[in-house]
Parts: sequence; C-alpha cells; structure tokens
Amino acid sequence: MSRGEGYVAFDDVWKKFQYGEVHNRLRDAIPALARRLVGRRDPDDGLWRGEFWALRGLDFTIEPGEALGLIGPNGAGKSTVLKLLTRIMEPTRGSCVVRGRIGALIEVASGFHPDLTGRENVYLQGTIMGMPRREISKRFDEIVAFAGVEAFMDTPVKRYSSGMQARLGFAIAAHLDPDVLVIDEVLAVGDASFQQRAFARVQELVRGAIPVVVVSHQLEAITTLCTRAMLLDRGRVVSAGTPNECITAYLGGEASRPVAATGDGAVQIESLLLSSSTVRSGDRLVVTLECRVRENGWTEPETLRIAARSTSDGEVVFETSSDQLGTTVPVSGAFTIRFELQMNVQRGIYLIECHAWDRMMGRVSFTGPAANVDVRDGIPFSGIAQLNARAVVSPAANVAGESTPPAQ
Amino acid sequence: MHLARQVHLSYYDKAQNAPHRPPTGRRVSRVESRRPGSSLAQVVRDIVQYRELLYELTLRDLRIRYKQSVMGVLWAILTPLVVVLAGAIIRWAFASLVGRTVAPIELAALAVKSIGWSFFVGGLGFGTASLTANFPLVTKVYFPRELLPISAVLTQAVDSAVGAAAILIVFPLYGLGHASGLPWIFLLVGLLVAFTTAVSMLSACANVFFRDAKHIVQLVTSFGIFFTPVFFDLDAFGPAGARTFSLNPLTPILEGARLALVTGHDLREPLISASGAVVWAPSHLLYASVWALGGLIVSVIIFRRASGKFAEYV
Repeated sequence: MSRGEGYVAFDDVWKKFQYGEVHNRLRDAIPALARRLVGRRDPDDGLWRGEFWALRGLDFTIEPGEALGLIGPNGAGKSTVLKLLTRIMEPTRGSCVVRGRIGALIEVASGFHPDLTGRENVYLQGTIMGMPRREISKRFDEIVAFAGVEAFMDTPVKRYSSGMQARLGFAIAAHLDPDVLVIDEVLAVGDASFQQRAFARVQELVRGAIPVVVVSHQLEAITTLCTRAMLLDRGRVVSAGTPNECITAYLGGEASRPVAATGDGAVQIESLLLSSSTVRSGDRLVVTLECRVRENGWTEPETLRIAARSTSDGEVVFETSSDQLGTTVPVSGAFTIRFELQMNVQRGIYLIECHAWDRMMGRVSFTGPAANVDVRDGIPFSGIAQLNARAVVSPAANVAGESTPPAQ
Repeated sequence: MHLARQVHLSYYDKAQNAPHRPPTGRRVSRVESRRPGSSLAQVVRDIVQYRELLYELTLRDLRIRYKQSVMGVLWAILTPLVVVLAGAIIRWAFASLVGRTVAPIELAALAVKSIGWSFFVGGLGFGTASLTANFPLVTKVYFPRELLPISAVLTQAVDSAVGAAAILIVFPLYGLGHASGLPWIFLLVGLLVAFTTAVSMLSACANVFFRDAKHIVQLVTSFGIFFTPVFFDLDAFGPAGARTFSLNPLTPILEGARLALVTGHDLREPLISASGAVVWAPSHLLYASVWALGGLIVSVIIFRRASGKFAEYV
C-alpha cells in the first residue's frame, strides 16, 4: 500500500476488562462459570461483577497528515487504545478501522531472541513488524548504522547492553515504511545523543502524509509532534482540541488534581491568571492571584508562594514567595497580588502553581489553582537555566603580548 | 517547530453529548467489529500473506534448538534412535521368552514408527507451549496467531526430516524397505502433519486459557506410546485388541507407513493376520483422513475464534 492511504476510525468503541485474576485453571473457571449462569448482570451497565469498562464510547478519526496525541492519567485507557489500533485486542463493542500497514514504535525489542545474533534478530524483528525480507536486506546497513551497533552484528543479543538492544529495536521500527504510525513512550530510548536522533527520525515520520497516534507522558513531545490531542480519563474523552488546550485541561483540571483549590487557611486563593498561555523563552510572564481573607481570621500574616514546575520531569524549576520578594499580604478583605517572572528557562510546558503558607504551623494552609504556560522559541541552549550568554570572537592580534603562545 | 494545527471538532461534540450509558445486551448483537474473518479461506489467505514471518519464526526455532549444543543437529537422529532402542529391548525380551530372535525387519518397522511418533510428540509439546512461550509477541505485536503453533510443528517436521533422511540412506544399504511404498508414505506424512497441527493448535489455544492443558499434553506424550502401536505391530494383538487400537487416529498412519515401506503391502488391499485381527483395511486410511482434515478445519476455526482473546489471557 502506498503512502497517503492510511486511515484510522474509531466508532463508538467500548472495551471491557476484568479486575484481578483471570481463570487460568479449570478448577477456578467452573465455579466462575456457574456463578455467571446463576448470577445476574448489573442492569444499568451490562457488567458482571469484577468487570469494568476500560474504554467507553470512543469516537474519532485520524486523516493522513494528522497526528493525534493521547494524554491522561494512568488507567485512562491510552494503552488500550493502542492495543486496539495495533489489532492486538478487539473491541467489546463498536468498530475500529485501521487501514494500511501499521508501524508501531512500542516495546520495540519485543521480538528479540537473546540467543540469536544481532543480524538474525534484525531479520526476525523486522519480519514480525511486517517488513518484507527484501526490504530488510535493502535497508539493513541503514538500520545498523542508525543503532550504532555495526561491530556487534554477529554477537548474540543477550551479550548486548539493554541500551544497545533498545537502540537496535528502535532502529528497526523506525525504518518501517508505515501507512499508520503509533508511538508509545519510546522517545526515552538510549543516551542523549541517540534520543535526539530518534526524536528527529520520529518527527520525519510524523511529517509524512500518514495518520499518527502518540502516547507520551512527556507533554512537550505531544505539543511538538501532534496537530491535535485528546485527554482521556477512565475511558472517556474529557477534552479534545489543540495539544495545548488538552494539556491545560490535564494539568489544571480534575484529571491531575482532584482537589483543585482547597485548604483551611485564612487566605483563600480564588483564581490564578496568566498574562499569556504562550511566551517566548526569556519573556516576562505576569501571574495574578485573586485572594480573599476569611473573616475572624488571623493576626499573623500568611505567605503566598508560587512555583513553576516542569511538566517533562515534574521538577520545580523555580519557587518564590511574597516574603522573599519583600511584600506583605493584607490581613483582611479581598486583594490581588501580581508576580512578575522572567521565563529564563528551557522551552517546554511549565505548570504555574500557587499556595498559601502558614509560617506559624509550617504547613501549606491553602492550595490554589494552577495553570500551564508553554515556553517556546527563544535562544537555544541546554541545561536548566538561561544565563543570557554572549560569545565574542576577537582577532588573535588583540591578545598578542599576553602569555598565550602566538598562533601560527 | 510548529506544525499546521488543524482541529477537528466533530468528535468533540459527540463526546460531550454522548449519553455515557454502556451498551445493553440487545445492542451487542449489532457489533460491527473489525474481527478478522474466521473462515478457513481467510485463515489460509492470512498465512500465505505472512509466509515470510512463518519462515522467520521457524528459522528462529531451528536456530535456537541447535545453538550452543555440542551434538547440534545429531540430536534429530539421536532422539528417535533412543525410541528405537527402547522398542528393541522390549521386543528382544518378548522374543527371548518364546525362544526366537528379533528380525531386522522388526527393527526397521520400529524405526519408521519411532520417527512418526517422535514427530507427533515433539510437535505437540512444542506447539502447546508456542503461544505462552511467545507471550511478549502475543501481547505486543499483531500477526495471525496461527503462525506460532504452525511454525512449532514445522520446526519439528524439519527436525524429523533429518531422521527420515537417515532411514532413506540406511534402509537400502541393508536391503530393507520397498520403494513401491514411497507414494503412500507421502500421503501418510501429509496426514500426520495435518493431524499434529490440528491437535497442537487446539492444545496451544487451550493452554492460553487453562494451564491444565500443559499437564494433559505431558501425560499424552509420556504414556501415549502405550496406546499407540509403536513398539508392537497391530497383529500382535487379537482381533478385539486390533479393533480397539485402530480407534487411535495415529494407528492407521503409523501402521500404514510400516506396511507400505517395510512390508511392501499395497494399502489398497486389506490385510488380516493369522489370528484374524484386521491389521489393515482401506477404510483405515479414510478414518485417519477424516481425523486429520476434519480436525484441522475444526481447530483452525476454534483457534481463530479464540485468538482475539489471547492477548488478554496469555
């Protein structure tokens, strides 16, 4: 099948699973069967005891050239969607149509046999993934070079490091010519330089005119790769739209923090507003908190704190408080407080969090709402902090006479 | 870094407005699922389409079977040879009771049947474990699951072919065997492969859901030889014994191979022993064919129906 013919359509897809152990012995299965015959389905949801819906009426299509990102907490149903897409499982109800050859960047070394050599495994894994032998032979050198394991092709894979195995597996999968591409958390394979190469290769594949599905907890990967996104929670679509909209819903919404704004402190944070949801790296971001002090509150002022948390690794990259900035929070009534931040950070998505801090008790007295900001563009750099570096080149003549040896 | 953002909101509205009511029993009957067709023709088409994978899986199994072993492919001859030796000892014990010796033709019969029996036992054992042993594949990658038990049986077939080749070399050297039986052998080998595949597919499938299957297969492979005429020929039993043993689908296949190749009997003719036991009747061939081909059809259909659940249970 040639390029551009791939197509994905989920039509009202439901998938049911069982909790706990499935019956692997006849001795367990016969009583279970008897219970089913005597027992009764819950009339409302068509479930037997111990069953649950992993997907509840999923409906979407992906056209060639579109890349759909799936996000959501653990147990949302993302992996189930992938298993249905790759035809490993069948829906309990509804239809999943996937047209064309599926290239799956999922558990890329699953077909490797430890006793076989690298060469033998490339053919085995390639064929398992649906590549004709002819094509594997043709692209063999390319695959091996990409993985960087040329010297070990006649060594059994069991003597490879886990990184080498993963790299070889990824290289094979990345050289499929799929009509539909499915990517699941494989962007964390190998060392930093391989990850960069892998990501570039994935971007190349995604730009081809094929439908793509990406599942990742690295939310920046979703914003960079995907044209749209869907937020799943407990088998349902909670939000759908641009990747940014879904990520905001995910990070700020119920999905990630079931208690959005809670606490028994005197200072209540009612809202958190950002001057912009997208800023350039190095630009200024204004965070406004609307607060109210509860009546019969307090005598000792509390502190308001804000933090910027990277969504790629969950680390707090910056945190400050009204105290540290030399302001005092009023002791009564409603007020707003503005924090100005200069976003000297790596590009990526950051969650801006806020809370009130009770100094007397040394505890968080109120957890406020959160919002995310997408930091993009700016001067490229690596590391965590942007130090506004400059580089100046001067001709060697200017430093002649100093102790450095003359350049010639 | 920006890709063109094109947002489709049609599903968005649907998702918001859909009544989140799970399906009722009535609607389940109208499932339009992408379940692969379970017809025999579809299965054959799938296997033909994935023939390269079948080849790779078989090659893999053959490679790992003999990698890191000193004897290597000699094991393929040694295993049936041990069965022959065991049979020879039993025959020798019985022969010495009645004061005669074991004739070379009896050893030849043993050799032919041992190869057939080892193929069945090996294929069944290997095939039964094929789905559970490959669970990383079954839970991660799609391909027709039939390939796993079939490649297991094929691997065993290649293995047994080495033993069969040894027979083809050794027999003429000792003036044993009848070339006229060879066409029958081809037919019987076909039936044996079909029957072994059928049983392996069913037991592999059962083993996914109930690990009891493994124990049942172990019983069959250890003790089945006492219920199959391998060490003895059918005429060693009386008429009633021969009738009972003939119910075993492997009996006509192994006996037929012995009669055609070692005795030189024309399988179109019946053969009745001195004791009146029916050692061979043309209907035996029909009986074995029904088991082999009927079994294959039934097992393919059952396997395909069940294969959608493998990933959840394996």
